[in-house]
Amino acid sequence: MPAEDMGKLTYRMRLTFAVATVVCVLVLAISPVKDFRAEWKKYKRSFVRYAQGRPDTKKLLADYSPKIDQVWLPGMNVVDRCTTCHQGMTQPSLADASVPQPFRAHPPIPHNVREWGCTVCHRGQGPATEIAEAHETTLAWEQPILPAHYLQASCGSCHHQDMNETPQLTRGRELLSRLNCQACHKLNDLEPPMLGPELSSVGNKISREWIYKWLKEPRTILDKDGNVTVNGYESGDESRMPKFRLKDEEIVALSAFLSAQKAKPIEDYKLNPAVVAAWSKKPDLLPQAELRFRQMMCTTCHPLAVTRAGETKLIGGNIGPELTKVGSKVNEQWLVSWLRNPQGYLAHNNMPRYGWTDEDLYKVSQYLLKQLTDSDLLTTVPKLEAGTDEQIKNGRRLFLEKGCASCHSIAGVTPQKEFGPDLTALGAKNASELEFGKAKITHNLLSYIQAKLQDPVSVNPASRMPQYTWNSADLDAVTTALLSQTGPKPTSALQHLTVSKVEASYKPVGDFAEVYERYKCYACHRFNGYGGTLAPDLSYEGSRAQKKWIADFLKNPQTIRPTLILRMPQFNMTDKEVNTIAEYLALAVQKPDVNPESVDSRQFTPAMASLGKQLYEVKYQCQSCHTIGGTGGYVGPNLNNAGNWLTPAWTEAWLRNPQALQPDTIEPRRNFTEDEIRALTAYLMTLKAGIKPQTSTSAANARPVGQGAGR
Amino acid sequence: MKSKLFLALPILLAVFSLCACKKAAQIVQPVQAFGAYDTEPDWNDGTKLVNLGYQESQGKRIFYQYCVWCHADASPAGPSNRSNLTPVPPLLNDGDKLNGESDEFMQNIITLGGSALGKSAMMPPYGKTLSSNEIKEVISFTRAIAQPPYQKPGRQGSQYTTK
Repeated sequence: MPAEDMGKLTYRMRLTFAVATVVCVLVLAISPVKDFRAEWKKYKRSFVRYAQGRPDTKKLLADYSPKIDQVWLPGMNVVDRCTTCHQGMTQPSLADASVPQPFRAHPPIPHNVREWGCTVCHRGQGPATEIAEAHETTLAWEQPILPAHYLQASCGSCHHQDMNETPQLTRGRELLSRLNCQACHKLNDLEPPMLGPELSSVGNKISREWIYKWLKEPRTILDKDGNVTVNGYESGDESRMPKFRLKDEEIVALSAFLSAQKAKPIEDYKLNPAVVAAWSKKPDLLPQAELRFRQMMCTTCHPLAVTRAGETKLIGGNIGPELTKVGSKVNEQWLVSWLRNPQGYLAHNNMPRYGWTDEDLYKVSQYLLKQLTDSDLLTTVPKLEAGTDEQIKNGRRLFLEKGCASCHSIAGVTPQKEFGPDLTALGAKNASELEFGKAKITHNLLSYIQAKLQDPVSVNPASRMPQYTWNSADLDAVTTALLSQTGPKPTSALQHLTVSKVEASYKPVGDFAEVYERYKCYACHRFNGYGGTLAPDLSYEGSRAQKKWIADFLKNPQTIRPTLILRMPQFNMTDKEVNTIAEYLALAVQKPDVNPESVDSRQFTPAMASLGKQLYEVKYQCQSCHTIGGTGGYVGPNLNNAGNWLTPAWTEAWLRNPQALQPDTIEPRRNFTEDEIRALTAYLMTLKAGIKPQTSTSAANARPVGQGAGR
Repeated sequence: MKSKLFLALPILLAVFSLCACKKAAQIVQPVQAFGAYDTEPDWNDGTKLVNLGYQESQGKRIFYQYCVWCHADASPAGPSNRSNLTPVPPLLNDGDKLNGESDEFMQNIITLGGSALGKSAMMPPYGKTLSSNEIKEVISFTRAIAQPPYQKPGRQGSQYTTK
């Protein structure tokens, strides 16, 4: 370049500068343009347009601002910008499903969005301003939004007490507890584990062949053609024993070990030979035996498989084990001694001690052993002799290694502590903390939990967890319950808001305690929040029922609700026991503000009773739910014997407000005046059609169908 | 040569900054479960499932506790009480009968009972047992499972979408 041209701009250079300037301006413009076109700004603008197209524009745009909107709750560690796009969140007029997302209003829930934020329940990244970052897993944020189907998990991470509003979570917690997950895993707020049967003397009860068969197919006992005769799961009365992936030689060793367990000899009880001799010759022994089995209402707790119209179903309660093939399982001497005294074999066992006579014992045990059998059950099992010492030794090792000892105790065998991983904070885990192995699933917590539950070895080939069978609703319920196990709350504010679980316990005293324990009242009935749910809650029975009625009922239990077929078993109680229970319930098991003495039935006049009858039949039409004398509805209990059954004080209190006495009762609270309550009570107290003594045939012919049990 | 570099730099910059804009990934839809709390099989055709929102699923829960005894053909205890009653109560999914009734009417008859509205006294009042919110939830469940499907009266929702 010549010297005089130095410092002058050539055309070429001008062009270069011009292009560079334009590019520079363009580059600088990228940021403002990107900002202008930000996703959240688009939603801001389209909300304005949407609101303008509606009649309530003014109301919808009252607090509109074009800026980012956020809920900031320092105490809870919440910075949620979700309302930037979800702008109709608190607008009741946008609740309808026709409103396009993200503008739809939040459904009305007990918590206010402004006080709680969004991510506390929905998860996702609160401060994010882009759709993907807010809702999904990113490298910097591993907690994606929780699909609405599992949202109840978030309720459960603060509400440790079960709630009506979260059926899926409650079912999940119930399953975790029923399936005894706590035996191997550490979990929060579950009922204490109900362990599998103690096996210290199992060799006295069942044969080695049966144990072999059971270990091979614990949930579904297959017959020799490979047909599932009783699939416990389908009926909802699942066996709690899952399937362990055991090899044949492992099963041989385990069965050898278990059949050698004979710690406690069988109680030596001889049935009266005269009774046995008399009955064993009768041609109708088995029909008579079946009749007795049905009269005792064993099916209230124990289900039986029944085939009707080609469909096999379990029918009966789900408290005790299924008995369809029990005759091929247990030995006779064991069965008789068990029926006499179940606690003699298993100390912690909920089966009541019935007052059987020798005749009953013989008949029922013959029915179980002769009628409830399957001759083909054990045909596929190889011939097994008594186990060798080596097999027993291996079996003992496997019993510990496979985790059998976590659920089943055997005297002298100490289970390994913390057999499975701690799951108390599983619901808060990030995907990077989980091991997915070779499983071809989405790498997030939700699909990990579901894969692990459905097939434990799919994510970890070395997994010791056994195989469970789930239907999809139960799988989702358990997933929800596991997702709710989010460990301790990280922030102080939430810690104070946590609703903790209330532990219920009920310990009666005195003579009653002994009877309560003998007949295991708590297996079906609930007392002050503790006990079973099959039969009515008896927390206030002393306020409700008249003492004489309680005594009569215990002698001869009958269903009070017309649709119920299951009912309380006949315990053959002695007069002394009956009196002990009646006295105790009538005096000690009362609602404090319903004193049975407070209303004197002598004040009721026939005029009041006839007014009450009018009210019952015409004004309030109570017969739509209650039966009197064979006509009326199926919903409530029958009132044929209300005058002998209920105390007047309870009846009045109940008519005033049923939910105050029993919170979950479906009988609605009515607008009765005090005079109407008096009159209705007077009428009910005139109903005294006593229960006829039980005729044996009617009970035996009753269909053993239905849910719940009568009292 | 140098000038080309000048050009290349800002262009590269522009390319890089454009690369930073990323695509939104697909959000995985949860699989709907049969028998779940947030779905209800169509009562006339068991193979079809109706998806329920929050309010409707709460309504389902309340329905199966309080109403199922008389407003369905089967109840959890087996037989339905419906056949015992005259007049026979409508099935909850009976759109021909219930779609014509306004939400206000439904709210009133559940709250005050049949006799207060000149209908059968066999329908008891639930106003003191359920909260008005719970009654709304039951109504929204009724609307969700109605056959023929329920149409909201009046002005139809705007056809406007965000896309």
